[in-house]
Amino acid sequence: MVVDLSDVAPFLTWLPSALLEWMLVVACLAVGITVVAWIITALLHGPVSAMRKIGRVLRDAVGDLIHISPRRVCALARLAIKESIRRRVVVVFVVFVLILLFAGWFLDLKSLDPARLYLNFVLTATSYLVLLLALFLSSLSLPADIKNRTLQTVATKPVRASEIVLGRIVGFTAVATFLLVLMGLVSYVFVERGIAYIERTREDLPPDREMLLARVPVYGKLVFQDRKGEPIKGVNVGDEWTYRSYVAGGTLASAVWTFQNVSEEAFPDGLPVEMTLGIFRTHKGEIEKGVPGSLSVRNPKTGKTVEVRIFEGKEFTTDVQNIPRELRTPEGKKLDLFKDIVSDGQVEVLLQCAAPGQYFGVAQADLYLRARDASFPLNFTKGYIGIWLQTLLVVSLGVMYSTFLSGPVAMLATLGTLLGGFFHDFMFRLATGQTYGGGPFESVIRILTQQNVTSEPEDSLRSTVAQTLDQAAEFGLRMLAAILPDFGRFSFSEFVASGFNIPGDTLLTYTCRAFGFVLPVFVAGYLCLKNRELAQ
Amino acid sequence: MQPDVIIETRNLTKVYRDFWGRQKVRALKSLDLEVRRGEIFGLLGPNGSGKTTTIKLILGLLFPTNGQALVFGRDSSDVTKNERVGYLPEESYLYRFLNAEETLDFYGRLFNISRAVRRQRVADLIEMVGLDWAKRRQLKEYSKGMTRRIGLAQALINDPELIVLDEPTTGLDPIGVREMKDLILKLRDEGKTVLMCSHLLADVQDVCDRIAILYQGELKEMGRVESLLKVRDVTEIRAAGLSAIAQEEVKQVIERNNGHVLNVDNPTTTLEELFLKIIQESKEHPGRRVRGVQEK
Repeated sequence: MVVDLSDVAPFLTWLPSALLEWMLVVACLAVGITVVAWIITALLHGPVSAMRKIGRVLRDAVGDLIHISPRRVCALARLAIKESIRRRVVVVFVVFVLILLFAGWFLDLKSLDPARLYLNFVLTATSYLVLLLALFLSSLSLPADIKNRTLQTVATKPVRASEIVLGRIVGFTAVATFLLVLMGLVSYVFVERGIAYIERTREDLPPDREMLLARVPVYGKLVFQDRKGEPIKGVNVGDEWTYRSYVAGGTLASAVWTFQNVSEEAFPDGLPVEMTLGIFRTHKGEIEKGVPGSLSVRNPKTGKTVEVRIFEGKEFTTDVQNIPRELRTPEGKKLDLFKDIVSDGQVEVLLQCAAPGQYFGVAQADLYLRARDASFPLNFTKGYIGIWLQTLLVVSLGVMYSTFLSGPVAMLATLGTLLGGFFHDFMFRLATGQTYGGGPFESVIRILTQQNVTSEPEDSLRSTVAQTLDQAAEFGLRMLAAILPDFGRFSFSEFVASGFNIPGDTLLTYTCRAFGFVLPVFVAGYLCLKNRELAQ
Repeated sequence: MQPDVIIETRNLTKVYRDFWGRQKVRALKSLDLEVRRGEIFGLLGPNGSGKTTTIKLILGLLFPTNGQALVFGRDSSDVTKNERVGYLPEESYLYRFLNAEETLDFYGRLFNISRAVRRQRVADLIEMVGLDWAKRRQLKEYSKGMTRRIGLAQALINDPELIVLDEPTTGLDPIGVREMKDLILKLRDEGKTVLMCSHLLADVQDVCDRIAILYQGELKEMGRVESLLKVRDVTEIRAAGLSAIAQEEVKQVIERNNGHVLNVDNPTTTLEELFLKIIQESKEHPGRRVRGVQEK
């Protein structure tokens, strides 16, 4: 996974449009479900009776959701917590500690990036254990109560279905939170001690190299310039992964990052630049060495350019260098970075490849200014907040499905929803026609007629019908992509392991997203439980 | 709905259907009945007659196919009516990982009862059902009778106006049965309304004011117990200290008045009363064996 913070929108900029989109999706869902429910009820009881029943359900729903009693929700949450404790959930923590104790047996202590190794290890172990626990607890609890009829005794008290559902969600989330806090503390100590030991014992690592980082990158806007210096899109070398575009070597082609708000106060010692390159070779060249390239700075107004450094570009390494305040032109003239190159807070950084026939692959996030370092412990905590958000999603979905499905089926349904969320991007591309080969109906025709995905569809009635049906399918897929949570994005583990600070805007955005999913899921769970005969 | 009518069912019907909507069982057919304030109302019937279905419809655990059930004037699906209702299910469906105190505390919280009141009520109820000695043990370690007692305690945690008891004496020993009956009568004397269902006729006869008899989902008979049980064309005379000659003279008087003597014999007590008498005497005189009646 690539850590790309370059397109993180400020939270207050993101919020209004996201809120509007959320309300639209929820409204569409609500109307759609109401219409479907009316149709089914009308078939069973007639249209007028169906209208009355649906009206009563909606009226009761408003009352049940508005008049939720916090005290009853707390009582039900306490019950869920007690149930979890008496089911020995603390075993999960014991298992986690055991894994850490024996970590030395299978962790590669000679790794070139031990911090990433340790952090990935603890975050992954925590995620798997807590998410599995959340899945089991949330999916199996309500069906067991319904089967044992203990829920009947509760339902004959003045308890609303909304309180039962919310109480479970709150209770199981509280259990998971407690475990996450414990695991987080133990993990932090494990990582700190482990890295300290490595720093003491390994002589191959630079002594002043910091391992536990939380870099705060400042990104610039990337544009590509062709051999003649005109702006273009970057070269496509045929790589399936199109994250990076390429700069041709031995030409004037370059990748140019334009940075804003660059000032003496923000960067008193010059510009600390970090970059990660992709390399594409059309010939072997000197395979033991890197590909030569150059880094320059340019005044965006005057065009004055100063070459800062010649370097050997290597893949999979982060090149760290500082552009000093004092620069020298090839003629020997001294220039000041902030007085002569930076203009109104703007500066351009140019990357060029010097080797003909070779290419540098870059993306916007591949080169940044390292503004400062944030607090690693705080960043570590933010990483755990990401796991907590994922747990909240799992618990909510598990409880919702368990209101109308049996335990094992609810578990499978929860897993299925989360897996579907992982393919969120692919579904969106399918739904918006960004993939080759058309929709499902057109694809069936292509398979049966042995056409490849890039050929034009035949001009026939069959194709027209298939394309029309595909539009309906695409609409449904778009709705599905809108309502399924992109589960993987709620994890910030890669940020922490790669040593990047998780921006506050990102945290706030994803927290709002998580609650934006949880709220309709809770309402769905309430409606399913309310309209279920518990004594059936 | 009249103010003294606590429960009213109007044309209450329940048909169980399968997943495809096909009718499987017609559990209740057009039931109309009323339960009035301050009475003990019994629902009788053999297994499968619809007693428990009726109770579950009244409590909102099932939805009627047709008709309506009203409790305190509110529809059975309205959860707010449960503020004034206590329910003892047929089996005590309680959380087995909680102990007695925790169980009653949990249900007390569901009624938004304040902590101080709740604490006192929990202590009083545990003492009332005689489980003070086991209040800290988890319910999974309780016997059936003990679980039943805690079930009764949770039904009374909110000091309800209406208590619904589903087969309240099932699984209890004779002492437990007697205590349950005494408690039901005590609740009635406190002005509460009790709806109980049972297939044990003797238990219902002892405590109920009015009964309804169901069979295959239909109401067959309803009314006050004493008037339903009265055999109007037979007169019973009980007398003590009658000699054989006196008995003969009484027979002749009856026959002279065109009556017909059905039976002359010593009345029998019930097995329950005999059992309780023996237990009581054993408690008063431990170690002494009760002498049986010598058969001639």
